Amino acid sequence: MKPRRLCLLLAVLALALSGCGTKKSTAQPDPLLHAYDVEPDWSNPDHLFYLNYQQAQGKRIFYDKCVWCHADSTPAGPSNRSNLNPMPALANDGSALNSLSDDYLRNIITLGGSAVSKSAMMPPYGKTLTQDEIQAVIAFMRAIAQPPYQPPARPGPQYSTR
Amino acid sequence: MPAEEMGKASRKLRLAFAISSVVFVAVLAISPLKDYFAPWRQYKRAYARFANTRPDTKRLLADYHSGIDQIWIPELKVVDRCTTCHQGITQPSLMDASVPQPFRAHPSIPHHALDWGCVVCHRGQGLATEVREAHETTLGWEQPLLPTHFIQASCGVCHQSDIPETPQLNRGRQLLVDLNCFRCHRMNVSERIYVPPPDLSNIGHKASREWIYKWLKEPRTILDSDGNVVTNGYANEPRMPQFRLNDAELRDLSAFLSTRQNEPLGSHQIDPRIVAAWQKKPDVADQGETRFRQMFCTTCHAVAVTRAGQTQLIGGNIGPELTKIGSKVNEDWLIAWLRNPQSYFGYAQMPRYQWSDEDLYKVSRYIMTRLTDSDLLSDVPKMDPPTPAEIQAGKQLFVGKGCANCHGIQGIKAPKEFGPDLSAVGSKTVSELMFGDAKIPHTLVDYLRSKIENPTSVNTTAAMPQYHLKKEDVSALITALLSMTRRPDAPAFAKLVVRATPSKFQPAGQFGELYDRYKCYLCHQFNGYGGTLAPDLSFEGSRAQKAWVVSFLKNPQTLRPASTFRMPQFNFTDAEASTITDYLEMVMQSPQVNPNPDNSSKTSPELVALGKQLYEVKYQCQSCHTIGATGGYVGPNLSNLGSWMRPAWIAAWLKNPQALVPGTIEPRREFTDQEIQALSAFLMTLKQTPTSAKAGSAAGGSR
Ligand code: HEC
Repeated sequence: MKPRRLCLLLAVLALALSGCGTKKSTAQPDPLLHAYDVEPDWSNPDHLFYLNYQQAQGKRIFYDKCVWCHADSTPAGPSNRSNLNPMPALANDGSALNSLSDDYLRNIITLGGSAVSKSAMMPPYGKTLTQDEIQAVIAFMRAIAQPPYQPPARPGPQYSTR
Repeated sequence: MPAEEMGKASRKLRLAFAISSVVFVAVLAISPLKDYFAPWRQYKRAYARFANTRPDTKRLLADYHSGIDQIWIPELKVVDRCTTCHQGITQPSLMDASVPQPFRAHPSIPHHALDWGCVVCHRGQGLATEVREAHETTLGWEQPLLPTHFIQASCGVCHQSDIPETPQLNRGRQLLVDLNCFRCHRMNVSERIYVPPPDLSNIGHKASREWIYKWLKEPRTILDSDGNVVTNGYANEPRMPQFRLNDAELRDLSAFLSTRQNEPLGSHQIDPRIVAAWQKKPDVADQGETRFRQMFCTTCHAVAVTRAGQTQLIGGNIGPELTKIGSKVNEDWLIAWLRNPQSYFGYAQMPRYQWSDEDLYKVSRYIMTRLTDSDLLSDVPKMDPPTPAEIQAGKQLFVGKGCANCHGIQGIKAPKEFGPDLSAVGSKTVSELMFGDAKIPHTLVDYLRSKIENPTSVNTTAAMPQYHLKKEDVSALITALLSMTRRPDAPAFAKLVVRATPSKFQPAGQFGELYDRYKCYLCHQFNGYGGTLAPDLSFEGSRAQKAWVVSFLKNPQTLRPASTFRMPQFNFTDAEASTITDYLEMVMQSPQVNPNPDNSSKTSPELVALGKQLYEVKYQCQSCHTIGATGGYVGPNLSNLGSWMRPAWIAAWLKNPQALVPGTIEPRREFTDQEIQALSAFLMTLKQTPTSAKAGSAAGGSR
């Protein structure tokens, strides 16, 4: 069977599918600023990030445990961030965090700052959060990073319908 | 018949034969061709080609075959063919967003797809093999996919008690209760603290006919220029919705209500000597305001404050917002209410404070003269005294409009089944819904949103009143509604339902009386029952030292001045304070903390010095906790810990904080026993005289 044809068919299908997609989204994702699966861009509140399941769970955990030191405003009002020395990176600070690997982040969150020769002011969460929860927080921080986070290139060429 | 002709006929016949057999073959061929070109086969082949571009091709294609895939779980009656196209959902290496759909892996969740199938959570049609039929409402299939924004609804089908992973669902369920939805609609709501709307049997003592007219027309006192309720992020849910009432109806209802005076008003006399002494003083209202603030009425009641042209509600949402209350209520009623709220209606949730007549007078003067709005009633028409005809008509409206479903009045019965049954609304199909002229997509989600945001949008004669809700609250309500489905008819499902466990904490005896009088449970948790505004007291007896509790009850101001929400000044008597303290000490104990430890008081200067070093250098606890003037605001201030907490509690806490307070944000560490001893010894040296106490906590010491 001619692969060219197939591709064409697939492309048409994809188009049709994406058509359905847009039709559905006329049901309008509201600007749900405080919804669990939306996070406003911290550096531009008009811009929203829509979160997937894992990122949304990360958001929940972040706003419970981490927001106090890694954001400038908190659900309780004042932030503890400026109290700290060294001052921790904002969770959306792409210029500080994008270059750090997931493994490194998992380590510092699990074992605390002192275990990776950083400040002991960063507490360890390995006995408080599960590894899945820690991964979720990382996914959330990646999702809201500004400048945006680019995952490292995958081994092997990316898939395309061509 | 001549041979020639016969030959002609047979040629014709042969032609017909030939044509029909060609047609026949073609028709036969269509079916395999159609099958060959079936979209799902295209996806199958595309997946195979995609897998070949990946480094782990072998693993990706381990279970590959050319037919339809399905997840079959007989006990749950699950037959889902979604994996025919979504072939990578269980492949961890296909998790990231660069993998094109439909091949991407499912994010890791507590329930594995192979154990549950897809449709249990995502809805849609598991059996369908065409894209549209699987995902959308079609002629043959009524159940569309659930948009992921509402996916928590599916968690709620089985998890009938709240779980932390579903904040949107939990919020929605809370709103179904708080907004009294269940008073008109049949639905299963889980057990939670619920403050019923006030009984109106005596409303005639409380408010004027004019005020009632205004309130029924526009229940909120604080509206912005667009008529939206101004909440500014404060969770001040407007619980009273707006009814669409015309002038005649408003007159009748206000006539009926303003004449409800079933019982005489409770004690509302203030000692005349106090009145005489204070009446003429110009600062009586100022002093009342000071008392109002000192007693921390704002912990439960919000008051609007305008600063720099911006109106903000400051205060809690446990009780009603009070900004214009002085233009609403009658002063005699106010005094009687403050003195004994339960004398107005028995289930009133306002605590019965210990008042001196002087304070009562000052505070009521403050409320009556400052929390007012002279324009409030300016658009209410002039009304004559109620006529019997108006009162009778008002009484009928009270039942007919559904008022009686939420508000009791002696002698009036609420109609049963006032609103439609919503106990399985999540299973409603589009054909069961009436969209009227609404220009909205025909889906259940859009229907619910439209109905909640504006009840008349889908039905111009709707009886449902208008609520003013934030967008995210509408989403939360939709989620909770969608979670109420018809039970799937597989018996195995019944076993999966995790029921809400109702757990009312109702102590008996003297403490029980105080608990009811001061409504401790509105803010504090007791063994899983109660509010979350203030610290959980389930283990308070193991945590706090007795003397500290007594002094805190007598003067709660000093603990956390940084927070807007503070324990109100109840003016407990000595006897009350000691009843409460004894009860907490005797009953509210943690089994994890030894009440009579012998070694926790072991201390020495060396141990203290080591503890201090651990605190400041090794663990840098000051990043979250303040001692004296330095430290962070995440955890409670520790400056006075030595006179506040019990050493055994501190040691147990350092070992495993979550074992004592599940969900506390204090990270659990791996301290050695010696470190715990040293830290406890150091922490127990932290003492402060009450007057120099300066404390603050951003996250709330309760966590
Ligand atoms: C008590 C305050 C505090 C809390 C709470 C806290 N952190 Fe930190 N965090 C810090 C400090 C301080 C640093 C900086 C350490 C350094 O640079 O030496 C830090 C560093 C980090 C880093 C590394 C950044 C870098 O540049 O190396 C990550 C990632 C991080 N925190 C994540 C988290 C997460 C996730 C949570 C919640 C689970 C959390 N933190 C909670 C204080 C805190």
